[in-house]
Amino acid sequence: MSLSSLVKNELIKIFKKKTIYITMGVIFLLLIFMNCMFKYADNGNTINYYLYSENYVQSLKSELETLNPDKPSDVTTYINILSDIQLSEIMEQHKDAEWKLAIINERIAPYISERNTYQYGAEKNEKQVEIINQEIDELLAKLDENDWKYFAREDLAQAEQQIEELNRQKEQTEDTAVIKNIDSQIQTAKTEKEIAEYRLNKEIPYGNDYLNRAISNLQMANSNLASFENTDELTYQEKLEYNSYLEVQAESRYILDTGNDINNSDSLKGILQNFYSQFGIFLIVVVVMIAGTIVSEEFNKGTIKLLLVKPYTRSKILMAKAITTLIMIIFVIIVTLLMEILIGGVIFGFDSLSEPVVAYNFNTNTIQEMNIFANLGLQTLTQLPMIILLATLAFAISTIFSNSTLAITISLLGYMSSSIINQLAIGYDLQFLKYFVTMNWDLSMYLYGGLPYMEGMSMLLSILICVVYFLIMMIPTFIVFKKRNIKNI
Amino acid sequence: METILKCENLCKTFGKRNILKNVSLEIKEGDILGFIGPNGAGKTTTIKLILGLQNITSGKVTINGYDIEKEFTHAIKRVGAIVENPDMYMYLSGYQNLKLVANLYKGITTERIDKVVKLVKLENRIHDKVSKYSLGMRQRLGIAQAILHNPNLLILDEPTNGLDPEGIKEMRELLVELATKEKMAILISSHNLAELDNFCTKVCIIKNGEVIETSEISAIKKEASQDLKLFEVDDANRVKNIVKEIVVIDKNRFKINLPKEEVPNLITELVQNNVKIYEVKQEEKTLEDAFFEKTGGNVIE
Repeated sequence: MSLSSLVKNELIKIFKKKTIYITMGVIFLLLIFMNCMFKYADNGNTINYYLYSENYVQSLKSELETLNPDKPSDVTTYINILSDIQLSEIMEQHKDAEWKLAIINERIAPYISERNTYQYGAEKNEKQVEIINQEIDELLAKLDENDWKYFAREDLAQAEQQIEELNRQKEQTEDTAVIKNIDSQIQTAKTEKEIAEYRLNKEIPYGNDYLNRAISNLQMANSNLASFENTDELTYQEKLEYNSYLEVQAESRYILDTGNDINNSDSLKGILQNFYSQFGIFLIVVVVMIAGTIVSEEFNKGTIKLLLVKPYTRSKILMAKAITTLIMIIFVIIVTLLMEILIGGVIFGFDSLSEPVVAYNFNTNTIQEMNIFANLGLQTLTQLPMIILLATLAFAISTIFSNSTLAITISLLGYMSSSIINQLAIGYDLQFLKYFVTMNWDLSMYLYGGLPYMEGMSMLLSILICVVYFLIMMIPTFIVFKKRNIKNI
Repeated sequence: METILKCENLCKTFGKRNILKNVSLEIKEGDILGFIGPNGAGKTTTIKLILGLQNITSGKVTINGYDIEKEFTHAIKRVGAIVENPDMYMYLSGYQNLKLVANLYKGITTERIDKVVKLVKLENRIHDKVSKYSLGMRQRLGIAQAILHNPNLLILDEPTNGLDPEGIKEMRELLVELATKEKMAILISSHNLAELDNFCTKVCIIKNGEVIETSEISAIKKEASQDLKLFEVDDANRVKNIVKEIVVIDKNRFKINLPKEEVPNLITELVQNNVKIYEVKQEEKTLEDAFFEKTGGNVIE
């Protein structure tokens, strides 16, 4: 007469009930729905990213007619609207290639507003208008040559020249403040050079695809990292920021080097590498539901009396139910994962499963590649403390108060408010919350040598805190269950 | 005969209320003890204390020589029970319910399950969901799960609830068979005395948490009936004017509590008053009358 027969009976009771099949069925449908959304939500033509819609241009034009450029109160709006209209007209003429639109948007747009300012603004300057118009015409002429590399080569040459110039300036001065200033300018120029080289070597035309996004991320990360360069002592908050920029920098370089779109969410691998942030809530709901009913339902239906007059101690009976809950957690995770792999595979194809998951390692400052299934295992391990603790909360409340509704509601509210609590704790630097359970139950922050939310936290400490919270909930539950009088039902 | 269940001076308090006061009872093998009392007298509470479902405030329960609080698993091993209602898992079939019970004991074979199902006459419906059962069928399934592991103490809390007269008769026969053939000790609680009348070997009457009578069933009835005499006369109302103590039943009959020796005196007095006497006899009391006499009606304090 062992624990295993009790656990076996608990599993029979769960799997003979319709509830588990209905909830898993609902999750199956939700997964289909969400995968379809991922698939069809973002299939827009990237050309449309730049172009203004016709209606919008029309409304701009009619608004322009109501404005008078000679009236000082109207003039700024007039210039802005006029510039937008002129920009959209130029774009319409060059919509044959995306890179042209990107160039127009990036380089010609500032000239247009500058010209209009000289033409209609307070300080009118016919000569400047003339000069700027020439610049615009030159750029447009280059666009018509249909060679985007011209612009990249131009950028490269400019950056190299700038670096040379700055180095020369640096040699001529002894002033440390000036040298510092020059150094940061050199950094910026080097970034420009790096990017231009990437464009030319990897054939990345201007535009708005993931490679261009990687370029702008790299630019952003580099400039932010440079701004930290002059700070001697980083605060913890700054260290976190600094690390996040290092990560962006390394990932962007990886994307540009390999051409591998690692953040693409339109593939099975892309969805699976964010499995818990996308679908964690489903798992939590089912797990909490099971944990919150496994004891209290027997009390409410009166069947607990059947169980308690069997030759098992009460601790053993409760232990069996706790173990069953743990088995169900693992079962629900595996089934949901398999369902997602099946659904995602049918919708996106299974090919992407062979692609590696890419993660930045903070310790070695390198990018590491990982098999998607190894990554899923790692994700699961980091999320298990949270799932188990939420299940424990539901289990404890439902056992102590024999009230499933209360148990499920409180646990789900706890889950939903946890991210708010964490944000408050981090945002306002509430150090005492460092030891609070919600700050510690998600171990993914420690992955790949990452820094925890707050200074002084560590993975070992987090696991210890989770164990303490587990015991704080479980010990009273066992005591109450052992001492409990079975009242009349 | 061996004592199976022994309760000594059981007390139970909830807050300030004393639910049970010094309840003692004993069942030997082969005994069927009728545990009788009005609603709220403490029958179910006593049963819950015996089964370890509630904490004992003071006193002691021993089953097969084991203390229920200190050696729970040993004490409960050979006990089968239905408490309050036959609460089964409604979403399972009767058979699956029995299988769950079988999993928790050693050596319960499929043959044993089939045999018990036949014993409680559920073989035609055993694979239906319990949610489709009538209350009577659930009672029978409850008895089946209680006797599945061959207990030597069977505790049934109001097991005749929901059974039709035919079902009650069948259950009586089943319980008598279990008690005589398997030497099972049976404790059966009820507030319906008529159904316990003919098959219990002992009764224990409980009222307001106190045992007020424990005896063999024949003795209790005899004692209560001894002095009651029934007269059949030509005009009972006229007798009322002569003897005040009588209880008039109808035009021709009355009852009176009278020791044997006094009967000739009363007859003489009535004859002198020209009352025609057709019949005088000893009144046979039912257990129910005895019960009301002992408990003084169904009063819950």
